[in-house]
Amino acid sequence: MFTRVVLAEAVKSLKVYFFSSRTLFWTLALPLGNGLYLYFLYLPFAAKTVDLYFNAGNYKIDLVGFTIVGQLLYSFFTMMLLAGASFDQERWQGTLESVLLSPANRVAILLGGALANAVNYLWMLIALVLSWIAFIHVNVMVTDFLALFVSLVLSYLAMVALGMCLETAEIYSRRGGILTGWLQEPVMFLSGQVFPLQSMPAFLLPLSYLLPLTFGLMAVRLTLFGGASMYDVAIPLAVLASMAVIFFLLSRLLVSYAERRAKVKATLTQF
Amino acid sequence: MNGNFAVEARQLSRDYVSTKRSHVFGKKSTTIIRALDRVDFEIHDGELFGLLGPNGAGKTTTVKILCTLLEPTSGHAFVKGYDVVKDGGLVRKIVNMVAGGERMLYYRLTGRENLKYFADLYDVPKRDVTTRVDNLLELMGLSDRADDEVEKYSKGMRQRLQVCRGLINDPEMLFLDEPTLGLDVNIAKDLRSFIREKVVREQGKTVLLTTHYMFEAEEMCDRVGFLSKGKLVAVGKPEELKREVPSGFSIELLVARLTEEIASSLRQLESVKRVITTDYEGEAEGEKVDRLVIDVDSDKALPQILNHLASKPCRVVSFNLRGPTLEDLFMFYTGEK
Repeated sequence: MFTRVVLAEAVKSLKVYFFSSRTLFWTLALPLGNGLYLYFLYLPFAAKTVDLYFNAGNYKIDLVGFTIVGQLLYSFFTMMLLAGASFDQERWQGTLESVLLSPANRVAILLGGALANAVNYLWMLIALVLSWIAFIHVNVMVTDFLALFVSLVLSYLAMVALGMCLETAEIYSRRGGILTGWLQEPVMFLSGQVFPLQSMPAFLLPLSYLLPLTFGLMAVRLTLFGGASMYDVAIPLAVLASMAVIFFLLSRLLVSYAERRAKVKATLTQF
Repeated sequence: MNGNFAVEARQLSRDYVSTKRSHVFGKKSTTIIRALDRVDFEIHDGELFGLLGPNGAGKTTTVKILCTLLEPTSGHAFVKGYDVVKDGGLVRKIVNMVAGGERMLYYRLTGRENLKYFADLYDVPKRDVTTRVDNLLELMGLSDRADDEVEKYSKGMRQRLQVCRGLINDPEMLFLDEPTLGLDVNIAKDLRSFIREKVVREQGKTVLLTTHYMFEAEEMCDRVGFLSKGKLVAVGKPEELKREVPSGFSIELLVARLTEEIASSLRQLESVKRVITTDYEGEAEGEKVDRLVIDVDSDKALPQILNHLASKPCRVVSFNLRGPTLEDLFMFYTGEK
């Protein structure tokens, strides 16, 4: 039943979002414009590299590549933050009660919503990658494709799991959606999206290490542009895998708590 | 808790806490509103039970507690023997709810897609989904529009689709919260007939209906309960409750040349409980006509009243004797007019 609910929720969310062919077109077309914008933004720095120190090694990472990966994964993270707002949508469109009236596994519903956002993001990812390949010369250096693939998958899973945790806030209160908005700017800063973590003030680093995006960026940048192997990025991969499990389990506890509190405080029907 | 009842509520109470500030930085003030106050009732298997009361009486709160969307502040409630708080997951498998005037559907999906989505949430056996969805759409007359987006449906069609959603898991217990609110007369009538004949009589499901349309309850319910300001003030079969109303019958008369003295003289008659003169915009054979409503002990008072009026300088144009209706009970028990 779990898988059935996940798929039903994901398909429903995508259908509700892509309700017309025009929506589909603009979802594909607009990121291409975003890609052009980034091309002109980073064009003056195209020949430079960024020093990324990791695990006693110094990796020279292409600046444009460094920034592009930062932008890509940050966009994905934002989508996962927005997954928190999918229950907000259920709330204001008056369907939250009909969903919670059912016996369906709540974690499956959360996962389905998060997956729909993740699939939605894939369109943007494809469009961005295509535009950058076409217009921007980026020095890619991959020596271990499996390490790159695992880095992407674990980043994806850890961020989906965190997105599920954030979704529970929206079940608890109609103010839950505000949380996702508040988190965007600090996450952009703390994760090292546009600058290496070694530039970050030391006292802020513990906060950076709470974010799956930080480790996802680390692993993907090193494997995509620094030629790092699975062994080189074993630590961020292990952290990402742990975060995926912890956030997934945490979402189970949180959704149960949030639903119970919402029923006590009568906030399920608030718009 | 008695497993023989479909629903059992014991000392069920629910408070709503409302906090307000006079302005952004003002002091917070808290108000507690008691929506449900130590309510006790039970519903038998296969029964159509009506919960009646004015707006704000606590009807929707009761329904939401029973279908696990809200927790009681105190007291207990059981559906088919399951505690609605402790066994919420089990209760949700065997109940469903349809609320009038609320959305509860995805407008960008088609009617069929909506039902298939909810069938998945309720884990309806996959081999049954297509047949069940088709049957429900057919039953509610929506087959020819099943593949249109719900946003293109009329209000009545949406409400019928809501009923399909409410039946998608073949629930043992169905909660209907003002199901005909805002519907056309004919559609509402068809829906009432469908619920009474098909859902309750044929399929043997238990239904809790909330409404403030008294004729609806009178037409549909086996038993009713009256809620007033969160308290359950009466429960029973309509005919039993009617016997408890002190003013059992009313006589409605249209009288020409009625004076205040004549109306007062009626109040002196032994069987008369109350005489109300109401405005009536009408004439009979060129004479202005007034309307009298007289509450009496029994139907035997009618000849006495007609004889009394015949002896007065007035003319009775028409009369109508009626027994107490649920509307009378509603006014009697809730104090509402």
